[in-house]
Amino acid sequence: MRRARGWLARAIAPFGGGRTDSEIDEELRSHIELHVVDNIRAGMTPDDAHREAWMALGGLERTKDEYRDQRGFPVIDSLIRDVRHAIRLLLKSPGFSLTAIAILGLGIGANAAIFSVVNAVVLRPLPFPDPSRIMRVWHTPPREQFSGMATFSVSPANYLDWRAQNTAFERLAIYGFRPANLTGRGEPDALRAGAVSGEFFEVLGARALLGRTLGPGDDERDRSHVVVLGEAVWKSRFGGDFGIVGRTIQLNSEPYTVVGVLPQRLKFPAFADMWLPLVWTAEQRAVRGNHNYLVIGRLHPDVDVRRAQAEMTTISQRLERLYPADDKGWGAVVLPLHEDMVSNVRWGLLVLLGAVGCVLLIACANLANLLLARVLGRARELAIRSAVGAGRGRIIQQLLVESTVLALAGGVVGFLAASWTTGLIVESFGRSLPRAAEVALDGRVLAFTCAIAIATGIVAGVAPAWRMTQGDAGEALKQGMGRGGSHAGERRVRNVLVTTEVALALMLLVAAGLLIRTLSQLRAVDPGIDPRNVVTMTVMLPRATYPERSDFVRFFDRAVARVRAVPGVHAASGIDSLPLAGGGSMQPVAIDGEPARPLSEQPEVAVREILAGYPGAVGMRILDGRDLGEGDREGRARVAIVSASMARRFWPNQRAIGKRLTLGLISNDMREVVGVVSDVKINGLNETESQMVYVPATQVPTPRMSLVVRSTVPTEAITASVVAALHAVDAELPVVDIHTMDEVIGESIAQQRFAMRLLTAFAALALLLAAVGIYGVLSYTVRQRVQEIGIRMALGAARLDVVRLIVVEGLKPTLAGLGIGLLGAAALGRVLSTLVFGVTPRDAATFAAVSGVVIVVGLLSCLLPAYRATRVDPLQALRTE
Amino acid sequence: MAETTDVWRGTLALMILKTLETLGPLHGYGVARRIEQTSGGRLSVHYGTIYPALLKLEQEGYIASDWGVSENNRKARFYRLTRAGRRQLARESQEWALTTDILSRFLGAERT
Repeated sequence: MRRARGWLARAIAPFGGGRTDSEIDEELRSHIELHVVDNIRAGMTPDDAHREAWMALGGLERTKDEYRDQRGFPVIDSLIRDVRHAIRLLLKSPGFSLTAIAILGLGIGANAAIFSVVNAVVLRPLPFPDPSRIMRVWHTPPREQFSGMATFSVSPANYLDWRAQNTAFERLAIYGFRPANLTGRGEPDALRAGAVSGEFFEVLGARALLGRTLGPGDDERDRSHVVVLGEAVWKSRFGGDFGIVGRTIQLNSEPYTVVGVLPQRLKFPAFADMWLPLVWTAEQRAVRGNHNYLVIGRLHPDVDVRRAQAEMTTISQRLERLYPADDKGWGAVVLPLHEDMVSNVRWGLLVLLGAVGCVLLIACANLANLLLARVLGRARELAIRSAVGAGRGRIIQQLLVESTVLALAGGVVGFLAASWTTGLIVESFGRSLPRAAEVALDGRVLAFTCAIAIATGIVAGVAPAWRMTQGDAGEALKQGMGRGGSHAGERRVRNVLVTTEVALALMLLVAAGLLIRTLSQLRAVDPGIDPRNVVTMTVMLPRATYPERSDFVRFFDRAVARVRAVPGVHAASGIDSLPLAGGGSMQPVAIDGEPARPLSEQPEVAVREILAGYPGAVGMRILDGRDLGEGDREGRARVAIVSASMARRFWPNQRAIGKRLTLGLISNDMREVVGVVSDVKINGLNETESQMVYVPATQVPTPRMSLVVRSTVPTEAITASVVAALHAVDAELPVVDIHTMDEVIGESIAQQRFAMRLLTAFAALALLLAAVGIYGVLSYTVRQRVQEIGIRMALGAARLDVVRLIVVEGLKPTLAGLGIGLLGAAALGRVLSTLVFGVTPRDAATFAAVSGVVIVVGLLSCLLPAYRATRVDPLQALRTE
Repeated sequence: MAETTDVWRGTLALMILKTLETLGPLHGYGVARRIEQTSGGRLSVHYGTIYPALLKLEQEGYIASDWGVSENNRKARFYRLTRAGRRQLARESQEWALTTDILSRFLGAERT
């Protein structure tokens, strides 16, 4: 206890409360005085009395040291002294300090920003209890029909069998997307709901903020008109009213009772603004061949993923045998939910983390170079310190403390920079970033920032400290101010540092260059449509006001007619799922004349429902036959048009017009192909071909349509009148997702564009830092070699010779870095291959262009130092020594 | 001259406490002087070693200090025993007595 108190007293001593230095001085002075008085009284001469008192004390300085050591902890004391010393020194040279802090702030800030995203998305566990037990269960589709697709959503009947037969999961839940039009509150409001089975919230273990969540029993038909609101909707649409629970709201024109509010941080799935019970009719429960739902489950505590996987595989094989028509080739895969959510972005995030890591390394090398120059300038000071007895350890400690103080200041700047850039980064990720709402600068990011700042300080400080303690103190003293150390060795260290910087910067530049090329390749891809002057918007007809399929047809007939009448509208039509907007249906197709096969074995193609005039409105070319017309209606001949690659695949070397096919999920009737249209990219611009069937929405009515409006005037001018025309047909109808077609296409490459922008920014930063590095080294070299340059000039060297001397000096490490960087970039090809399109990861043009940029920047960084070298006055230089 | 071993440190602390108990509040020089005199000159160490020892005792709460004026009118830091110090002195003296008793018996027994 007492010992602990002693330690505590020592630990807090540096912050006041203990003896001050002057108190110690005074106490010891009074000690000597007292002793001297005694000695004189005992008969000594004053001189002897003094000497004896000093001797008896055992030396004043030594006693003071021992006294001070007891006051605190010697290590902490000396650290604090070093920190104070370092801060004083750094304040004395603000130019150097600000440069260093800016360099480090950029490097550390970039890392803190990216880490905060990685932390929230990848590292932090999901915000649910026992999150490691929450799994996602996907179907695995038959490989022949779905090449390249590893996972697939789940059909109701298969889910029900999984749920009944498995023993690995405590609970298995299913959910799907449900549009939710919130009406009765002025402007109709198109929101999205998760339609969830009774087990859903038990699987997550989510607790409501207010009221309750949904549970078993809510999905029974007569009790199913209940809703859990998301916190965001509760706040924005209902003003955060605490009395909301128990109130009735109008969704899809039906009354729902609010039973609870779910906190924002527990929002899952990401699309859900609210949660409704998922209710199936007996008919819907029996659907096995149509896969439209997502499944999550909570494992029993003692069951691991492998056992669950094994069991699901067994069940799937059983189902394949029992229901071959629907389930042949359909398996199941169990993945931890967190892993499943982040799998899309993990790779991109790791590449970014690598990129900012490189930037930080470069910043580190730069700081090392700056410190080296500075420390060599202080050789004399350090030599004196070492001569008066400071040990090698103490000097190293002092230098490391200096670099760490700098790095911590850089860390503060970096953390501030990160605090306002994370928002931008998250925003530019767009919708592709899961858990975006959770990105924040929390304690972990702060700890990470501190850790990398300290690590940076130490790493950057080691080279100069090591270099400094190599030399002989006496040697340094003999040499003049700022001339310590052997030139060759020190130049080697600096060149290695610059080479590293250039190599790292070059690798980043190559990555950025490849992405820039990728993006321009993607932009150059012909999407198969003409997006100019096209605006799109989506409407969803509520079941309550449009109960019959004929109501859909009637509405869209009237709506499109109204829109076409708007001045400036050139053409208007609609499609159930826009190209490149994500989503859309894949369905099995049977070709007339080929042997009949069960649905599960039929090839799958993209099926779209369109209104008359769609090809013309969106700008597809009709290659053969005719467009779907106003005459293709319910009751008339069933027709379809197909894409060129569809026609090529199924009727090679034949005319597709007049051929017949069956879309088994829609009906068993044959439809006749009446037209062939050009291919359109539907899932992404990097798609190679799209086999598509378009059917008339009049024959296959759907309540949800995206309207496509082509105008002769800029789209902004007519959008409002088009929406007004729709509201003239139904004032209650929400019109959502109003975008130009250009925006839709742009959104489809948002992730590549985002990766390209960030990598380019980081690469530019890296190049800038490397240029600063080259410049720093050369300026220093010029200063060091002033005499040599002076002599050369005195002996008749021309200015140009001097320039050549310096430029060659600067280009050496640049070229070395270039070579190493090119090798490194070539080795990185495999990592980058997932991010590029239309170029190989070792694209010669990119490598050449980047090398050119690096050489030019290297030369530019040489210019100023070279110019300074030519200004050397030979006489002045020779007199300097 | 005695070395600054752990034994010496332990006994020095005890001697300081005893000195302060006997003489009342005293400055560092006085304590050092007294210890030297009491040992009959057999214990001669640098006076300086007394100061870290005093500070340690103070940090542990056994003694307290204040600036005061010495008998010949000089400013000096005076140390005095605290209550905890008194208790510690009693405990330590007892332990020390026990230790020396055991040790002397032990060493005596060895000799015979």
